[in-house]
Formats: sequence, structure tokens, C-alpha cells
Amino acid sequence: MTQATLQVQELTHDFGDRRALDGVSFEVRPGRLTGFVGANGAGKTTTMRAIVGVLAPDAGRVTFRGEPMNLDVRRRIGYMPEERGLYPKMKVAEQLVYLARILGVERATAQARATELLEALGLADRAEDMLHTLSLGNQQRVQVAAALIHEPDLLILDEPFSGLDPIAMETMAAHLRARAEAGVPVLFSSHQLDLVERLCDDLVLIHEGQVVAAGDARALREERAGRRYRVAVEGVAGWTPALAGMTVVEAGERTTLVDLDDAADPQALLAAAQAEGPVSHFSRALPSLADLFAEVVR
Amino acid sequence: MNASRSDLIRLVAGREIAVKLRDKGFLASTLVFIAVIVIAVVVPALIEGDTPEYTVAATAEARPVAEAAAALGADGGPSLPTADITVIDADDPAAAVSDPEVDSALSLDADGSVVLTAREGVPGGLEELVAAASFSLTAQDVATEAGLSADQVAALTSPAAPRVELLEPRPDQPVPPELVIVIFGFMFYFTVLTFGVAIAQSVVEEKSSRVVEILVAALPIRWLLAGKVLGNTVMALGQVLLIVGAGLLGAKAIGKGEIVTQVIGVSGWFLAFFVLGFLMLACLWAVAGSLASRVEELQSTTLYMQIAVMVPFFAAILIQEEGPLRVALSYFPLTAPLLMPARIATGDAAVWEPWVAMGVVALTALALVRIGARLYAGSVLNTSARTKLGGAWAAGGRA
Repeated sequence: MTQATLQVQELTHDFGDRRALDGVSFEVRPGRLTGFVGANGAGKTTTMRAIVGVLAPDAGRVTFRGEPMNLDVRRRIGYMPEERGLYPKMKVAEQLVYLARILGVERATAQARATELLEALGLADRAEDMLHTLSLGNQQRVQVAAALIHEPDLLILDEPFSGLDPIAMETMAAHLRARAEAGVPVLFSSHQLDLVERLCDDLVLIHEGQVVAAGDARALREERAGRRYRVAVEGVAGWTPALAGMTVVEAGERTTLVDLDDAADPQALLAAAQAEGPVSHFSRALPSLADLFAEVVR
Repeated sequence: MNASRSDLIRLVAGREIAVKLRDKGFLASTLVFIAVIVIAVVVPALIEGDTPEYTVAATAEARPVAEAAAALGADGGPSLPTADITVIDADDPAAAVSDPEVDSALSLDADGSVVLTAREGVPGGLEELVAAASFSLTAQDVATEAGLSADQVAALTSPAAPRVELLEPRPDQPVPPELVIVIFGFMFYFTVLTFGVAIAQSVVEEKSSRVVEILVAALPIRWLLAGKVLGNTVMALGQVLLIVGAGLLGAKAIGKGEIVTQVIGVSGWFLAFFVLGFLMLACLWAVAGSLASRVEELQSTTLYMQIAVMVPFFAAILIQEEGPLRVALSYFPLTAPLLMPARIATGDAAVWEPWVAMGVVALTALALVRIGARLYAGSVLNTSARTKLGGAWAAGGRA
């Protein structure tokens, strides 16, 4: 069986004389949540629109399970556009059924799924209301339901978390996680770096139309971790070791952050800490996604 | 889960229809239109009515006059009104007319002149008939006294009507064809405009709400366009049929079967040209909608379309005199859908002519549908600002 992987290869696209995408390549693997991170105007939305076929890129190709994104493949995508897209003057449930049927689901199945999804998203009592009478957060949930209604084989979600309250955010995260665990590749963009960091298995960082980092989230952070260590010595605040080849970056209340140069031995740092008192924490400090982001876009 | 083109187009069309059927404005305008047509057909017939009936009370001396008037009313000579007059006996004219069933009373005064007594007024037709009867009787008396023969008296009192000879007789039609043209013209103008704007609005609504992105990811843009056009064509044709049908039923109900025959005779061509003409412009209405990014911009992007609908309407109702201009316009694609059926209605078109004009319109429709589809594909995803035609054309080539 072909792996259900989405492959984006060398996408290039110009808007007038501005290059929006410049050789964008990455892959979204089945069973994994892939976070798509970049500044405003970096090319996230353009890339996603090119994947779902709303935009025809000037060059490059996209494949899913090794197949180009023809109509039949595209119809198996659950897509949530950046600016959302539902009929304001249509009833919530009716709208979901219509979109499901457009996507090839039988009416009865579509109705059952719409009920199920609205239930799961806490909107069962709004099924017969016009969409525009719902709050923005609730409209967003309907939008999620619209992306999931045909049980897609691939999820492409542009900013699915924006505008959600913390509880809704958790519900949404659980939904995405469940889909990923069912083997669906999930690509979603977000500005909330802490959320992406917590949620994602894989990362794609894009900057000015170019992918600057892509792959396993933890591996990416490890790769850029360098030789920075975090030490906590119980009962000692602001411990500042003076060792050859080591620079104290930050001596906090509870922990101390130390950069080691290439020759320095981390075990020497640990020994020095143990000499100071009982060591409650000793680890290599991984950069946060925010650090990583700041670094790659510099 | 394969995409079937006809299923998807039907689904899109179905939504368009469902939206329209729930649109209160649309329902109200349809009902008003039907009411107007029925009233326009039924009311004149009611006013025109049947032969009026009068009851006339006559004194013994005036009875011959009353009977002569009744005979004239029943016979309805060329210049006299028809009326169904019942004559009853009376002694006192004033007492007789106090009965509401009696319209007026006839008596003779001292010098033998006829007196017509009524409560508030004498129906015009009745007065005319009585005057004619009185004249006729007087003339008969005088002529008999002068010794004329019965034939001579008859010639004097009821002269022969002139024989009318028509060099270009109009076909015998209960409704003037000019009126049929104006009614159909107005109905089509109204329908094309309503549904054209509906198509444009539906497109811009999907654009401004961004639903179009989801739809376009799931089905080819052309299918989406086809579904919209199909749904609105079905509704437009349905509305026209409903209105024409209501009018015809009204005509039938008041016993004017001949109107039904006449209108059905010409409406076939009107309807055939209407469907083709509507399809010809429908895709362009969608383009007008897709060039706008918000509903507010529709006014300016649909301007040319409104003109394209208005010009044929005014051409059809203003140019009713057969001539080179009318013939030319009945072949010009924009005006042909109204002017060719109009020429048929007035009996000015040869049998082959509508077929040729229909071919011209069909070819134009084919070309405009293709151009429209490309422009629509090139502009419907540009949600940020108004799209220029040139840009849409170029982008549509890639889509």
C-alpha cells in the first residue's frame, strides 16, 4: 500500500512581481500532526491553497499517496480556508449536509454525521439556526465540522485555532489528535507557537516563501539546541558556577542556564553542581519553538 | 465517492432553487405578478360584461315605443347598442320606477311626445334605443300617411349598413398582438433581470463568505457555474410558465377561450426564445457577480448587463412597425429573443425566419457561455478586490 503521505515539491508562485512561494517542499506524514508556522505573509495560506487546488501554482507539484491532486484526490481533503467559508443565511445542519453531499456523501449518512459532529462540538441545539446568528467561535466550530463531514483522508486547516476560547481550543486539539491517530495526515497553520509546540509531531517553518526548517519537531529543536544546559540545585538560588569553557546565560531563582563551548564537558558542570548541593534538575535545554522561529527568520 | 458531473450540477442547482423558494421577496413578487396578470385578464371582461338587461315599464299608449326599442335592442343594428329589454305594463310612470327592479318607465305626454322616467339616470344604451324606436315609429307613421309602400318605409327607417372592404385585413384576434408583445416583453424583462441579479448575487455571496474556496476545492469551477445557471433557469422558466398559466386560466374561467388559443399559439416561440436568451446571458450575469468582491459592488459590475436586458425590451415595445430596422433587430442576438416572436405575433415573419434567428441566438449563447465560464473561473477566487475583465480573462485561461 502506498503511504498516505502528502508531498509538496518545489512550489513556486508569483503574485505580480512579488514571489510568494519560492521552491516550497515538505511532506505531511500519516498519523502525525504537522504544524505550519511562519510570519504573516510568509506563504502559509498560498501553500495551502495550492495544495487543495484553489490556486494553481506557477511551478511545482503536490501529490498525495503518490498521486497528483486530481479532482478525486482533492475531494478527499478536509479543508478549512483562512477566511472561513460557509453560507451565512443557511441553517447549520442543512449547510453541513449540503457540503457533505457536494463531497459525495449520501444524504442519510450526511445527516447522521452532521448530527454526530454537532453533538461532539457542543452545537447540537443550534443545528436549526441560521449560521450568521451564531457567535464567531461557534461559527468556527461549524467550519471544523464542515471540514470533517466527509471523513477526509487528509486535513488541511488554515488557522483552525484562531478565535477559539481555551476550552474550544482543547476540544479542537483533541479532534485533530484523534484524526491523526486514525492515520490521517494533518497540516495546520497557527500563530500560537506554544500551542503548536505542545501539539505537533512535525513542523514546517516558512519564511518569505521559503521553507527554512521542516521535519520532526523534537529533532528540529535538538538540532538547534547547541550545548546549553539547565541545572537546578536544591536550596541554592542564583548559582553561578565559574568553570573553564562555560558561560552562565541566566542565573535564576531556581535554575541556572549555562552555555558550554565545544571543549567543555557537561559532566564537569554536573559534578560542580553536585558539589554545591543536591541536584534536582540537569538537562540539555531545547530551544522553544518561539526561539527556533526567531532564530530561523533572522 | 467519485464525482459525477450531473449529480454535482444537480446538487448545486438544487440549492439555488431551495434558496429561491425560501426567499420571501421572490415569493411575494411572483404572487403579485400572478395577481396582476389575472386581474388584467379578468377585469376588462367583467367590465365589458354580457348584454345589459333592462326592465322598462310602459303605459298602454307608450307600449309600441317600448316594444320597438326592445326589438331594436335584440336585433342590434350596426350603429345601435344591444340590450335585453323586458317590457311590463304600468299605469303611473313615477310609481313604476319606485320598484328597484324597474330601470325606467315610458309614457306619452299630452302632445304625444315620449317621456322616459327614471330615478337617478337613464342607462345610455336604453335612452339611445328608445330615441331610435321613437324616431322609427314616427317616420313610419309619416311615411304611411304620405302613401309610401311598406318596402319604402323599411328602407327609410332602417337604412342598409355600409359594406366594409379591407385591403389588408388583420387576423381575427381577440387580443391585439401589440398588447401580447408588451405583456411578454415586460414579463421577460422583469424575469431576466430578477434572475440575472439573483445569479450575480448568489455568486458574490459565495465569494464574500468564502464558501467558494471550499466548493472549488471539491468540484470544478465550471460545474459550479453550470449548477447555478441551471437552477436559476429552471426557476425563471417556472415563474414565467406560472404567470402565463395563471393568465390563461383566468381567461378560460371567464369564458374567453379564444384568448387562450391565441396566446398559446405565439407563446411557444416566446418561451423557446426566452430560454435561449436567458441562457445566453446567464453566464455573463455570473461573471458580473464574480467581478465584484462585495454585494455593494454589484451595482456597477452588473450595469452593462442591465442595459443588455433593457435595450431589447424597449426595442420590442417601441419598434412595432415592420421595417428594415425591426427585421435586422429580430436577428441581432440581444434583441432577437423578443423581436422575432414579436414579428411572429404580428404575422410579419415568414415560417423559416424564427429558426434562423434561433440558430443565431444559440450560437451566440454557446460562445458567451464559454467566454463567461472562463471569465468566471478567472475572477471567482479573487476575493480581495474588484477584478478587471482583462485579469479575469488571463487568469481564467490558467484555471
